[in-house]
Amino acid sequence: MINIKSKQELELMKHGGHILSLVLYEVMGSIRPGVSELELDQLAEKLIIEKGAQPGFKKVKGYYHTICMSTNDAVVHGIPGGYKFKEGDVVGVDCGVFYKGFHTDMAETKLVKSSKPKIQSPVEKFLEVGKYALNEGIKQAVLGNRIGHISKAIQDIVEVENGYSVVRSLIGHGVGRELHEEPEVPGYLVSKIEKTPFLKEGMTIAIEVIYNMGSKDVVLDPDGWTIKTQDGKIAGLFERTVAITKGKPLLITS
Amino acid sequence: MAHQGSFETDGIVKEALPNTLFRVQLEDGSLVVCHLSGKMRMHFIKILPGDKVKIEMTPYDKSRGRITFRYR
Repeated sequence: MINIKSKQELELMKHGGHILSLVLYEVMGSIRPGVSELELDQLAEKLIIEKGAQPGFKKVKGYYHTICMSTNDAVVHGIPGGYKFKEGDVVGVDCGVFYKGFHTDMAETKLVKSSKPKIQSPVEKFLEVGKYALNEGIKQAVLGNRIGHISKAIQDIVEVENGYSVVRSLIGHGVGRELHEEPEVPGYLVSKIEKTPFLKEGMTIAIEVIYNMGSKDVVLDPDGWTIKTQDGKIAGLFERTVAITKGKPLLITS
Repeated sequence: MAHQGSFETDGIVKEALPNTLFRVQLEDGSLVVCHLSGKMRMHFIKILPGDKVKIEMTPYDKSRGRITFRYR
């Protein structure tokens, strides 16, 4: 059942999404060599509560942190630990906020570096591609398109144009009163575009670009949460919550 | 938080339970309780024990599935 949100519900989600955007922006800005993952988790929690919302991920059964910290070969769901960042780490931060009954979900990845070199490293290009794929996917999220259009846009940019691989087992999802709702929004074409659901006005979806530099295979860590790349290469994660409107897609998290 | 997507497998229907539920045996031998998908109900497609079917399953609950296709 795909839940359609009314105008008032969308306003509440927009407010929550705004809080999440501010918090995540601050957390990303605080990523420097020597900072530990747990510090950022505590910072995020403090900021969210200050702004009057609750950490959305704490509502997930079995998870006790505010953010998911996925460094280097960890794809998603990394549990924040005592690890301190070093120069050259690729850090993916996923955060969720629960505000007045609605969840919002957002993720961003950043390369830890203290200086700005002039030549773009392959890792920076990898991250640029992910951001571009997410923006193109969001552009496809208009009335009249199907979910397959978003999936195709992301897959084309990540795999066809640039040779990276989209992770198959992880997908975007609907967002609302529950953190994960219908529909499934994969980053790759599962079936023909005509067989995927239509995008309707009032749908709120979290479009996720989850991709690896190497092959698409991932393995579950013994800790039961962290998902890592099988070949040990770097993985990227970008996510925004978007609402479908009559005109352009409404960015709930920006 | 990222969500794990659903996947499709094939299986053979072992027995029919009430309310269009079926016990299906997957290729690896495990038994899964599956319900008939709405589209198949709408088109009155009958499933009998012994039919080979396509199942849609979620990684979050490996004991349940949804029958989405009946092979000839």
